[in-house]
Amino acid sequence: MKEEHKTNKPFQRLTASLIGVAVVVVCLFVFLAFFMNQKSSDTIQEVGRIYMTGMSEQISLHYETTIELRLSQVQALVDTTTSKTVSSHEELVESLEVNARARGYEYLALYSSDGEFEMIYGDKVNANEGNALDFLANLQKGDQRVVSGQDSKGNNVVLFGVPCNYPMMDGGTSVALVGGLSSDYMSTVLFLDKDATFVYSYIIRRDGTFVIRSGEAFQENYFDQLHSVFDNRDEEEAKRHIEELSAAMEKGEDYTVVLHNATTKRHLYCSKLPYSEWYLVTVLPYDPISNVVNEMSRQWTYMVYVVCCVVFAALLVLFIQYFNITKRQLEAMRKANRESEEARQEAEHANKAKSEFLSNMSHDIRTPMNAIVGMTAIATANLDNQEQVQNCLKKIALSSKHLLGLINDVLDMSKIESGKMTLNVDQVSLREVMDSMVNIVQPQVKAKDQKFNIFTYDISTENVCCDSVRLNQVLINLLGNAVKFTPNGGTIQVTLYEEPSPKGEDYIRTHLLVKDTGIGMSKEYQDKIFESFSREDRARVQKTEGTGLGMTITKYIVDAMGGTIGVTSEPGKGSEFHVTLDLEKAQIQEADMVLPDWKMLVVDDDRQLCESVADALKSIGVKPDWCMDSRTAIKMVEEHHACHDDYQIILLDWKLPDMDGISTAREIRHRYGTDIPILLISAYDWGEIEEEAKEAGVTGFISKPLFRSTLFYGLKSFAGECKEEILEAASGAGKVDFGGLHVLLAEDNDLNWEIAEELLSDLGLELEWAENGQICVEKFRQSPEGFFGAILMDIRMPVMNGYEATQEIRTMKRPDANIPIIAMTADAFSEDIQKCLECGMNAHVAKPIDVREVTRHLEKFIK
Amino acid sequence: MSLEECYVALGGNYEEAMGRLRSVRIVQKFVLKFLDDGSFDLLVKSMAEENYAEAFRAAHTIKGVCQNLSFTRLYESSNALSEALRSGFSPEAPALTEKVKEDYQQTVSAIRTFQEGVQG
Repeated sequence: MKEEHKTNKPFQRLTASLIGVAVVVVCLFVFLAFFMNQKSSDTIQEVGRIYMTGMSEQISLHYETTIELRLSQVQALVDTTTSKTVSSHEELVESLEVNARARGYEYLALYSSDGEFEMIYGDKVNANEGNALDFLANLQKGDQRVVSGQDSKGNNVVLFGVPCNYPMMDGGTSVALVGGLSSDYMSTVLFLDKDATFVYSYIIRRDGTFVIRSGEAFQENYFDQLHSVFDNRDEEEAKRHIEELSAAMEKGEDYTVVLHNATTKRHLYCSKLPYSEWYLVTVLPYDPISNVVNEMSRQWTYMVYVVCCVVFAALLVLFIQYFNITKRQLEAMRKANRESEEARQEAEHANKAKSEFLSNMSHDIRTPMNAIVGMTAIATANLDNQEQVQNCLKKIALSSKHLLGLINDVLDMSKIESGKMTLNVDQVSLREVMDSMVNIVQPQVKAKDQKFNIFTYDISTENVCCDSVRLNQVLINLLGNAVKFTPNGGTIQVTLYEEPSPKGEDYIRTHLLVKDTGIGMSKEYQDKIFESFSREDRARVQKTEGTGLGMTITKYIVDAMGGTIGVTSEPGKGSEFHVTLDLEKAQIQEADMVLPDWKMLVVDDDRQLCESVADALKSIGVKPDWCMDSRTAIKMVEEHHACHDDYQIILLDWKLPDMDGISTAREIRHRYGTDIPILLISAYDWGEIEEEAKEAGVTGFISKPLFRSTLFYGLKSFAGECKEEILEAASGAGKVDFGGLHVLLAEDNDLNWEIAEELLSDLGLELEWAENGQICVEKFRQSPEGFFGAILMDIRMPVMNGYEATQEIRTMKRPDANIPIIAMTADAFSEDIQKCLECGMNAHVAKPIDVREVTRHLEKFIK
Repeated sequence: MSLEECYVALGGNYEEAMGRLRSVRIVQKFVLKFLDDGSFDLLVKSMAEENYAEAFRAAHTIKGVCQNLSFTRLYESSNALSEALRSGFSPEAPALTEKVKEDYQQTVSAIRTFQEGVQG
């Protein structure tokens, strides 16, 4: 939990900071968007103001220019038409009319001091009432002036007045000459085309009434117009604007304001116009501009959001990557930590095991050493007492043997640990391996009064390729342990069977089970039984001698052979070890084993064994029946006897449930005479029971395990009237004739040489003696090519030993330098065998000479 | 004295020898030949000369012969001696040599007795 908490913290912090950064980014962008929007609208307003001011100035300048032009035209009329140039009133009027028409005036009149217009041409006009007085007053002062008015048809006109003193019709003198133009003309001239620009202008009087209106103005008064701009809803606002505007007009100042209503926004600019009491109002609606700007700012906002999203996405991607990397690093770190922790513990464990082992070992070594030292002292003190000395020597021998075993184990172990242990794979007969194992174990089993049984079944291949020494070691370790840890009277059972191997047809899967009813092992110990230097820490075990290396060595050997070893055990009930090996089938053909078609009876209480033996017997030509207890056996014998179809051989297990094999044999002999051979089968030593068995009428004995060859060799000599025939067949089958094959035998001892010659010449071999290695090499050198078929080589010889001789022969430059060389020596340690093979020898045969062994090897190497 | 009794006297395994050599005639032939074998003299001589490599080889040969003839007792002592001499001199070698000498004498005297019986 704590661990998890610790590891989650960085991720929580990461997530929190990611969210924080995201919030900050969003806030920044939103702020930016609003700020820029605000700024842009401010800017537009500012731009509008500057533009409007300029625009208004332009318009008023234009107005002024136009008005001044018109006024100067009228002034020019007045200047050119004086009393000097015209003599009469008619002439004056005519001259003025001609000139005025030429300048495009629609109206021309003389203005009297009482404010009356005396039309020279055009409709009668009148100045608007409100401005007429002001107009008159200014003209009388001698100033030029402009005023709006209407003709008799009601058309709006603009009147340009220039002071002058002309005689009038009514005899008075005029105040001014007034030219008139229709206000339509004025508006066309004065104001920019409405279609070309958004800007439009009005000219109003101070009271708000229009002098000239254009565009959207539909009210008679601009102030009413303003009300309508606010949709008559925001009266206060409208009123305020009107008041401000009026106040500005009063003072003659310019007035500028931005008008907002619900839907639109417009800029208003008002300035006073010269030569009149008029005011120019210029209006700039923002809508078209702000639409453009709004579009831009909307796009800008979109862009901001998009960029925001992109930045956020990039952040997220970075974050996820960083998150993953961190997670992976953390995991790797944790894994490394865990691994180093495991390695440390393992090393500690191994170290502990080793030091424990050393202390155990020193104890284990000291015990027999103490016995040896002590017994030696006792023996020395009692040199005269022969019995005592003998007793001491016996104990010394025992202790030494034990010590030697310990040291051998340690040596094996050190070989394993340094990786130097190798396998000498050779052809091995499983029967021989099992036989020798039984021979070794029998005395131990007997000493502890244990029940011992061997089952073999489904053995299809007896000869396999394997390291026999190591295989023996495995078997002896397992059996030795079984004997050691099983109390007196317990049961030990070995089972061997074969089945097809998954590795292919050239292999056979061989199962080997060793089961005991001993003290068993705890579950925890079963897990580490194959570790070095381990022994279960129990009082019972403490009393048992051993290094704790046996199972490790066993496991290593089995591993090296490519097999598996497993164990099932229960404390107090016993253990079962199961070794599985995939062994290569041996190349050599098994001798042709055929027996006559006897009728045989096999009696054993194990069904599997019966079936297996029956199968094996069938395969060598015998017709077997089988049963599982002696009563049935006797009944079957009786039935066959009654039909005059007696069994020709009976095989009886020694240990049967109700009546043992010897009693059964006695019963059969008693009832049916002595002519049927009865053989006892057992894993026990025949010697112990021989006397009793023979007395009971048992003909012979076959030792378990019952391989096919065991049965064949066991049966062939117990075949009654067929005996001669069988023996002949057997010797014919088992014996080989090499037909005069020349073999060079290097052996320094003439007695050994003679024995070898005696034994081997029977096989049809022509032996040539070389007294030492040197002579052997010389003889081979001088022989014609291919003369010798093989060399049998002793190792320990004077002048030149077997190793050197072999090396010399192997380096010769002749085609038969690869001649089969078989070592024959009294040294049978695996190192010696290894050394022989390293020197280039093909095989190793231990002394004393075993003809079968030599034959087997010769057959293997000689075609 | 029969051959079998001779084997008992010299501490050998008659059945094993018979199993290997297969006939009384051959066993008898080689047992008598053992008297002529020079390995023991070589061993004694080499030990006296402190030539331990040669002594080792001699002990080894005696061991090999005894294995072939199943002279168990002499095999055991000569085997122990050859192991003691395998890598040169070792302190227990002289004592083991004495043991070999003793066993050899017993073996030889048993065979001599048997030989007299055969010839006589």
